[in-house]
Amino acid sequence: MGLSEQQIERYSRHIILEEVGGQGQEKLLESKVLIVGAGGLGAPAALYLGAAGIGTIGLIDADKVDLTNLQRQVIHHTADVGVEKVKSAENKINAINPDVTVKTYHQWAKADNIREIVREYDFVIDGTDNFAAKFLVNDACWFEKKAYSHAGILRFDGQLITVVPGQSTCYRCIFGSPPPVGSVPSCSQAGVLGVLAGVIGSLQATEAIKYLLGIGDLLTNTLLTYNALKMQFRRVNIKRNPDCKLCGSEPEITELIDEEQPVCDLEKD
Amino acid sequence: MSELKEPILRIPETVKDDTFAYRDGVKKYLDGSTSEVAFRAYRVPMGIYEQRTVGKFMVRIRIGAGLAASGQLRRVAELSKKYGNGILHVTTRQDIQIHEVKIEDTPDVLESLLEVGLSPRGGGGNTVRNVTACPGTGVCMNEKFNISPYSIATAEYLLQDRSSFNLPRKYKIVFSGCAEDCAYASVADLGFFAHNENGENGFSVYAAGGLGSSPAVAVKIEDFVPAGEVLEVAEAIKRLFDKHGDRSNKHKARLRYVLKRIGIEEFVKLYQQERAVIKKEGLKGEIPEFRDVTAAYQKSGESGNGDVKVTVNVLPEKTEGLFGVRLNLDLGDISADSLAKAADIADEFGTGLIRTTQLQNLLITSVRGSDIEKIKSALSGIGIDVSAVDEPKVVACAGASTCKLGLCLSRGLAEAISEKLGEAQIRDKGREVVRISGCPNSCGHHFIADIGFEGKAKRIDGKLMPFYDVLVGAKTYEGQGKLAERIGSIPAKRIPDFVAEVFAKDVKAEQLGELVKSYDISCGEITDDYYYDYGASEAFSLAGRGPGECGAGVMDVMRVDIDEARRAIKTASRAADSGKKNQSLYNAVVASARALLVIYGLEPKKDREIFAAFTENLIEPGWVKASGQKVLEQAVDWRMGDTDSIEELAPEISELAERVEELFLSLDASLKFKAEPFAQKKESAGAESKSHLADLRGVGCPMNFVKAKLALEKIEVGEVLEVLVDDGEPVRNVPASFVAQGQEVLEIKNAGEHFSVRVLRKK
Repeated sequence: MGLSEQQIERYSRHIILEEVGGQGQEKLLESKVLIVGAGGLGAPAALYLGAAGIGTIGLIDADKVDLTNLQRQVIHHTADVGVEKVKSAENKINAINPDVTVKTYHQWAKADNIREIVREYDFVIDGTDNFAAKFLVNDACWFEKKAYSHAGILRFDGQLITVVPGQSTCYRCIFGSPPPVGSVPSCSQAGVLGVLAGVIGSLQATEAIKYLLGIGDLLTNTLLTYNALKMQFRRVNIKRNPDCKLCGSEPEITELIDEEQPVCDLEKD
Repeated sequence: MSELKEPILRIPETVKDDTFAYRDGVKKYLDGSTSEVAFRAYRVPMGIYEQRTVGKFMVRIRIGAGLAASGQLRRVAELSKKYGNGILHVTTRQDIQIHEVKIEDTPDVLESLLEVGLSPRGGGGNTVRNVTACPGTGVCMNEKFNISPYSIATAEYLLQDRSSFNLPRKYKIVFSGCAEDCAYASVADLGFFAHNENGENGFSVYAAGGLGSSPAVAVKIEDFVPAGEVLEVAEAIKRLFDKHGDRSNKHKARLRYVLKRIGIEEFVKLYQQERAVIKKEGLKGEIPEFRDVTAAYQKSGESGNGDVKVTVNVLPEKTEGLFGVRLNLDLGDISADSLAKAADIADEFGTGLIRTTQLQNLLITSVRGSDIEKIKSALSGIGIDVSAVDEPKVVACAGASTCKLGLCLSRGLAEAISEKLGEAQIRDKGREVVRISGCPNSCGHHFIADIGFEGKAKRIDGKLMPFYDVLVGAKTYEGQGKLAERIGSIPAKRIPDFVAEVFAKDVKAEQLGELVKSYDISCGEITDDYYYDYGASEAFSLAGRGPGECGAGVMDVMRVDIDEARRAIKTASRAADSGKKNQSLYNAVVASARALLVIYGLEPKKDREIFAAFTENLIEPGWVKASGQKVLEQAVDWRMGDTDSIEELAPEISELAERVEELFLSLDASLKFKAEPFAQKKESAGAESKSHLADLRGVGCPMNFVKAKLALEKIEVGEVLEVLVDDGEPVRNVPASFVAQGQEVLEIKNAGEHFSVRVLRKK
């Protein structure tokens, strides 16, 4: 397709990188990334992926911007309070980089809609804030054979892992199923350091770009945890679980289900 | 330093730091960790140039306002003897050059110079060059006031900022003490003329002048600025230049091209904007004081001028009883021993201050009338005859003997003229100056000469002859500046007679044109000697002056053939007679085929050889369509009488001539065609194909690497990409970046104004 003069300038710092180059940048411009949840994790991921020139970015979120979001969801501005999050995010991405096509899905990701959306993309970023959604994204990506980056944050702790279905440990390999109701507090109950979302969401964007370009070592079979107070990163090696209900040798889950127990109670607002 | 009564130019700390760092730079170059190319880009702004002889270097020392203390000159002389060839050269911009220094000795030279308060920093490259002043500053009878404090402070202010060494091109600043303009402020990038308005000292300001190719007289940008504001003016113009100068094209980079591009109104507006910003924010860095350096080197006069005879070499100063004594140097050269003795003489009879002048002489000022005879006899001891009634001064550039750019041997001509003027006993009646440049680059400043000569080559009877354009009518005077005009051209060998006649008969300006005609090629016999330049044992030739050198003069030679082809085609189209038609068409083919061969250093004489060379160099590489071969062959057939007519080939011949002209017009400074070649049959499966080229001249860092890399991605692994990049940062960075990314750089070649980098795609 060839880069325009403006694109050469815009992406010059990528092109200079030995591992990216003009061909790598063209690959990014042809890539599609879906971000599930335009909140704390999705915000930095969407900003950086937009700036990087990911050709198509999909955003799923049914929520509207709330004043309490602004402490960490940096893609939304004060003036956006009350605006659909996907719309608000779309505006910012467009403002940063007109090369990017933004597709918005103003709905919650559910068992009955997520597979057909995921199918359109090359990589998925899980920026959701509740266990049910996290398992749903994991399962959908498994069924659609799409690589994705899982992440979660609470208080001062974050974690992430990259899943390449069929090749590496999936979210269910590790956690099996959602925890009992009430056993884990939500962000709104326990609090979260705003910048933590920026750190972890940016790492997710990094994984997306590496995956799309086929460079470096992905965070597969490795859970990376981060504690902001101790400023400590830890890599935990994890093997695939042969008994995994989803990707194990005798899978029990053969279709998508909507898990219960929404953690952050968003739908009640 | 102890010898200095008062430092003249206070070398800024940044320049001192850079000078001390230079030793390390040379070490890195010598041990191979810095490339030749990278080192060159670093060396030139330090004021160190390589000479025509490889491995010999010239150190150009800036003499601020042309003022040097005797101790400084003794040091310069000592260094020249110890490290150089023992001969110093005074330049037209008041610098002093040490020649033939080995590169490994240059750090010693620089550090030793620094000890006496001298530095070559900014002597070359795209820098703030020596800030000059009229040689009589502080003592001249005509000056409005002493301008040296302003000239020196301007240098001190600008030199402390490293950005002054990385401008789009050179920036020359000149101060003249009055409208007479002995310093040539009328043709400077920035020129100041001293004025006194209602008791206040100040300057009128002119900008965007310059000599060299497409010279221009500076235009007025300020009627009067108080003297204390000169730093702001110089800084404002520097900023304007820095922002708007065209860094992409070295040939169009000087300030005068900015003016040409945007017009005077916009230029003045931009200047005023910069001034306003400076007014508001203040100048950055240390503000030097305006020190009257000459005051420290002053002495009292004596009453009456006695019986001192005033000549061009002995001129009265404003203090009664004091005189300036001119040391007339042939072409600016003086031996180290003589310079050291001249310094001693300045101590004894002057004030210990010696000035360098724009006419490449030295001047010892403030000599008492009663000492004139003594100083004359002292100077005669070093071979300088002050009593001699001198012939008009002849100024010449270095010329083709040492300069890679030169066409003609200008110094040889200068000597021949001086000899002739001496023989004819022609006297210098004032400021009469003959100026010679060996090529259109104008280093001899022929555009401001009373009589100027610009070297070129002309084809007479099929052979090249050294020739000069004659220029007259220049004026350098505030507000009336005028460049010399071309009035004709004459063979080099007729110039001494011509000059002698002009001066002897006091030929009026309007008669000069006629006089030139009487010396041009149509009059008198042309002897074989005319084909030999002064002092040359071989017939004049441009052969060997290949690509990589500035082609300004070579261009003229090509133009001659191209015009001839065009004329012949026109003649053929009009000729009624078939024989004449055919002959003209044939002539057009020959001229077209010959025109561009100079680029390849070829000067075949016979038509057959011309055609063969054309085929090899222009048709085969695809610069000219393959069908051109048919034209050549049929032209030969006609010539040999094998065919009766080539009239039906007229359209093809026109096409050939047009293509040649098109190629000619697309030549860049390194004499490479920018025009697209025609597709060629692939040469036998050579590993490298020449067709992969990325011309990134004018593209800065890092975009040049970005684009070069994109071009490399487009070729196959194992193929070679040629990248053209600019000198300086680009050629330092682009190849290094490729290497860092695992590609192989096969060659970095200096192609004159730019560099060619050949990169093998490894992965």
